[in-house]
Amino acid sequence: MSIIKTDHMKYSYDGSRTVLKNISVEFEMGKIYAILGPSGCGKTTLLSLLGGLDSPSDGQVLFQGEDIEKRGLAYHRKNNVAFIFQNYNLIDYMTAAENVTLTSKLPPLPLLERLGLTKEEAKRNVLKLSGGQQQRVAIARALASSASVILADEPTGNLDEDTAVEITNILKECAHQMNKCVIIVTHSNELAKQADVVLRLKKGELQQL
Amino acid sequence: MDVIQRAMLYISRKKGKTVSLFLVVFAAAVFLISCFRLLNGAEALSKEIRTSLGAAFYIRANTEVSMNETGETQVKENNIHITGKEIDEIMQTGDIKYYNPINYGFAKSDRIRFIPGDKHTEENNMGKVTALRFSALAPDFTEETAVLAEGKHITETDSGKILISERLASANQLSVGDTLTLTHARFGEADGTYIDEIPVKTAYAKVQVSGIYKRKIQDTSDKPTAGIADNEIYASLDVLNELHESAAGIYTGEVDFYITDPAKLETITRNVQLLQSIDWNTHFIRTNDFQYSRIADQLSSLGDLVKIFLVLVSVVSTVCLNLLLTLRMRGRMQEAGILLAAGVSKGQIMAGFFLEVWSVAIVALMLSYIASLCVTGILGHRMFGGLHSNLLNEETIRAGIGDRLPIENYLKTNGLETLLIYFCQLVVITVSTWVSSMIIMRLKPKEILSKMS
Repeated sequence: MSIIKTDHMKYSYDGSRTVLKNISVEFEMGKIYAILGPSGCGKTTLLSLLGGLDSPSDGQVLFQGEDIEKRGLAYHRKNNVAFIFQNYNLIDYMTAAENVTLTSKLPPLPLLERLGLTKEEAKRNVLKLSGGQQQRVAIARALASSASVILADEPTGNLDEDTAVEITNILKECAHQMNKCVIIVTHSNELAKQADVVLRLKKGELQQL
Repeated sequence: MDVIQRAMLYISRKKGKTVSLFLVVFAAAVFLISCFRLLNGAEALSKEIRTSLGAAFYIRANTEVSMNETGETQVKENNIHITGKEIDEIMQTGDIKYYNPINYGFAKSDRIRFIPGDKHTEENNMGKVTALRFSALAPDFTEETAVLAEGKHITETDSGKILISERLASANQLSVGDTLTLTHARFGEADGTYIDEIPVKTAYAKVQVSGIYKRKIQDTSDKPTAGIADNEIYASLDVLNELHESAAGIYTGEVDFYITDPAKLETITRNVQLLQSIDWNTHFIRTNDFQYSRIADQLSSLGDLVKIFLVLVSVVSTVCLNLLLTLRMRGRMQEAGILLAAGVSKGQIMAGFFLEVWSVAIVALMLSYIASLCVTGILGHRMFGGLHSNLLNEETIRAGIGDRLPIENYLKTNGLETLLIYFCQLVVITVSTWVSSMIIMRLKPKEILSKMS
């Protein structure tokens, strides 16, 4: 059964330039999804709509069968989904551990250690961590929120090849071992190969490969 | 992590931003409170002048001023004096606070070697005696050419008390509390020398040094010993009576009347001149609003200056606060985007911003109160110090002791005024924070995130 799905969802800028046309797609728990497509095709917009950062021009986004606008988009973002961004988006005046506690009351250290950070690194300001470490912190923050759906926008875009592989493995672990629904928007075919389901967004329409 | 924790982390970690906000709020508050204190000070001083010793009129009776055929002014002594009865009648016209009759004479003493002047001899070793009721009201003291350095001024209840100059005291090893005997003398001139016209001494007065005064400018002119300012002895009225140079209740010098309100000087003197019992052909009246006119004008100018400064500080601090908060908020767009993506509501994010700004502002406002005391003290002394020193208070005149009230006594704000200043500042801070936050908050979360990337 799907955890999140779109129902005839459309999105257009200023009511004229249509980016997404009548998209109906379902995402299930325990799977990792990759959405591919050229730049500007609307991948990030699709992720934003799934995450409740914006509202579709037409159609619905349903979480566990319920329209996410019913309880409010802020509620959806807080309880149902978690974001991972290409540029990590960590709060720069906080430590790694404090960034994780931003969305959760759980102790952050076990989670950070599980993702490969030491205790010292967890107490360090995030700006003093490497790109890979910062992305691990962002993933830890997403996991700490106990959201069922993790929405990742180019999570390996800023990382070197080895680190990208490590981050991809962590995301796979999230989906397969922690039973999360991981939806990744990416340009990377390597990352897409690791996904359980690969979707391509082309001319506003979503096709499963 | 709740709003409070987040706000406290921001304050403690972003030290530069916290300090800059603190300094702007602190500086604005210090200057605003100081301006209000200075305005109140100007008002209080102005009131004090009006109700204190801002003006006087003087009556002399022993001189006659006339014009000769060639148009020159001639002043000649007569034998008409001001009496206690006349003083009582003048006092009854109302609005007069003090009167200070003055008699003049000369005296010698075995214990005193006066500062030698031109053609000094043992015979003309004498000093001028100014006998009066309140020495603090003598022109030398009200105009501050002399100040009391030690001891007490002469007051209406004193008898056998004198004030001598610091220079005279030092030359004769005299100090406050010392007693000595004065004898009468009369200054005269014969054959190009200065003489004492009373060679045989029959009158003596035992006196005690009540105080020592200091002249601001030392008399260097070529004068006879009796004319040297530092040789002048201020004495209680009874001293010249004992030396047979004056009689009780009869005043050969002038009588100074200090009025309650300088604004009424003209009316009061007009009423006094309506007294039929006084012969105004032989009594000469002179008005002097020396303090009121001088100080009131300066205070008014200073008050205007402070008001302009107050407006400038208000405008500049508001603009600075707005700029600072706008820059601060723009730098927090990413944080707002992250928090929105994490499901934190816009209200909570705004609450965090307000909490941070208020926390810093409240600390700055509290500390500004203490700092404003110092700033007001410094500015107050610079602005009003000169004016304030002209004021005499009741204690100085009546008891002969004490100094002028400290300037800080005038520079006060009431609690309500201070609270109002704080309230207005908090309103400006709140509105500035709200306006600058709205630059971010009116955007959709997606717009914020796209601006971030």
